[in-house]
Amino acid sequence: MRKKRKAGLPRTGIIRDFDKKTIGVKLTLAVVYIICAVIVIVSIFPIFWVFMAGFKDLREFMTSTAIMPEVFDFVRYVRTWNQLNFLSNYINSFYVILGSVISALVFNGLLAYGLTILKPKGHGIVNKLVIGSLLIPTTIALVPLFINIQNFNMGGFFTPLWLAAGANAFQVILFKQFFQSLPPSILDAAKIDGCGQLSIFSRIVMPLSKPICVVVTIFTVNGVWSDFLLPYLVLGVGRWQTVMVRLFVFSTQQTINNDDLMRAVVFSMIPPIIFFFFFQKTLTENITTVGIKG
Amino acid sequence: MRKLKQNAISWLIMLPSIALFAFFLWTPLLQSVRMSFYRTRNIELVEFVGLSNYISIFGRQEFRQALANTFSYTFWSLLLGFFVPILLALVIGETVRGRGIFRTIAYLPNILPGLAAMILWSAFFSAEDTGVINIILGHLGFESRTFLTEVNLVIPIIVFISTWRGAGATALIYMAGLAGINPELYEAATIDGAGIWRRIRYITGPAIFNLGSTLLILQIITVFQIMYEPLVLTGGGPDNASMSLMLLMWNYAFGGAMDFGRASAVAVVTAVILLGFTVLYSIINKRKIEWD
Repeated sequence: MRKKRKAGLPRTGIIRDFDKKTIGVKLTLAVVYIICAVIVIVSIFPIFWVFMAGFKDLREFMTSTAIMPEVFDFVRYVRTWNQLNFLSNYINSFYVILGSVISALVFNGLLAYGLTILKPKGHGIVNKLVIGSLLIPTTIALVPLFINIQNFNMGGFFTPLWLAAGANAFQVILFKQFFQSLPPSILDAAKIDGCGQLSIFSRIVMPLSKPICVVVTIFTVNGVWSDFLLPYLVLGVGRWQTVMVRLFVFSTQQTINNDDLMRAVVFSMIPPIIFFFFFQKTLTENITTVGIKG
Repeated sequence: MRKLKQNAISWLIMLPSIALFAFFLWTPLLQSVRMSFYRTRNIELVEFVGLSNYISIFGRQEFRQALANTFSYTFWSLLLGFFVPILLALVIGETVRGRGIFRTIAYLPNILPGLAAMILWSAFFSAEDTGVINIILGHLGFESRTFLTEVNLVIPIIVFISTWRGAGATALIYMAGLAGINPELYEAATIDGAGIWRRIRYITGPAIFNLGSTLLILQIITVFQIMYEPLVLTGGGPDNASMSLMLLMWNYAFGGAMDFGRASAVAVVTAVILLGFTVLYSIINKRKIEWD
């Protein structure tokens, strides 16, 4: 007779608690945990490896087959940081993120507000265009977008990157779904009290929509930090380079040392990893709604 | 009158956002089509040349190769990228202890910047004997390989790296789907004498199939636009073996030639193929896209 499993969580997979613990079941569960161990190793090892590789100098990096460095020399990280002047790239990325988040919340929020709550005559056509935009592969429009930006003389600074965050069809739809669930009575009450349409948005709708604003913010921060194609086209090699643009330009140079490159990779990964540990719940729980965008 | 004023204010509120959509999405798309019929100099349209950009790209070896490669990327990503997330979801779904940690760790590579992940993996697949994969091969008693300069290996390797990054996120979607299966189904099946494998076949399998057909098409559409991965890892080489359609577009436009007309023609051809996939998607996925 088997003892019952100690007050654990119930099994919710294909194998259930009511299954007899036969050899076959036990074996299957063993295989499951072995595969999970493999998943953990394959996911984490490359990240661990690059952090370790950053401690090596060029000679060691090119000749050693060991994973761990000979010495843990933080000075090498500091030197690369200073040489590449990464601090200014970090600051630039921060500015891009800040402006993009504001723009994403304001413009996507306002459009969703217009389409779900104000609903002026003829809003249906805009609605269709926005949903149709989901189907537009963004890379395909990259060339003419670049030309658009040049024609408006907006190249060389953050402005186009900020504004681009305000034209996100996914986020408009997220906002719309949330706004639809707001109780209409509150909005009506505000209208009767003489609240203007804009102040209903800023004083009532947005404060009530905090959860969705958090989701939009988190995904914008993550996406903007990682993006480099449009930022590269917009900012080029000038002084406003973000971390990712810097890394991209750096990696295409002929004369780079690979150990410096690995340290630059580490610098670009640290903020998202820290961010992830703070917000992993929001990120993983909302992937089902925002995730399928490639 | 008041109604009219309200409408006007409402439109005014939406106007900035609409302008942004027009600037960043709608006009570039139309402009792409228009530009593909023009000869261009820098960012200016010089003269209308009809289909000659299209004729020119189809006559080029590199375009035909990129077209074939893009289908090859899609094929490999179906082989690797489609099944790995399903396996992840099934396996992690069976765990009790540590499930939250497994989920989190499987998702972790997804938050790394794509560019950083590509550079990191290019060190792993380094052709030197000190490249990590070559070290592992050495321990297992195999010869060193050059990986990213091998014509037959380069596309599978790039797909492998993309899968490494994306599988955890897709697995979460499957897990959410599997969690939605009514537990009574499993109980009823067990009472009817169904073992684990038959439960997979008749309950879990069909649930995955529903979700999978949707994700499959979305994945094809994403992979078909693959660009920065080969740009960073190989530049399209060796000898165009990893050149994709979108990378060819990038190269025509920003790779020095500034040939925006030809680049647009490549973009339009790609868009048409993708449109075909999208139609296929809406046929398979009978739930129609909601227009409200």
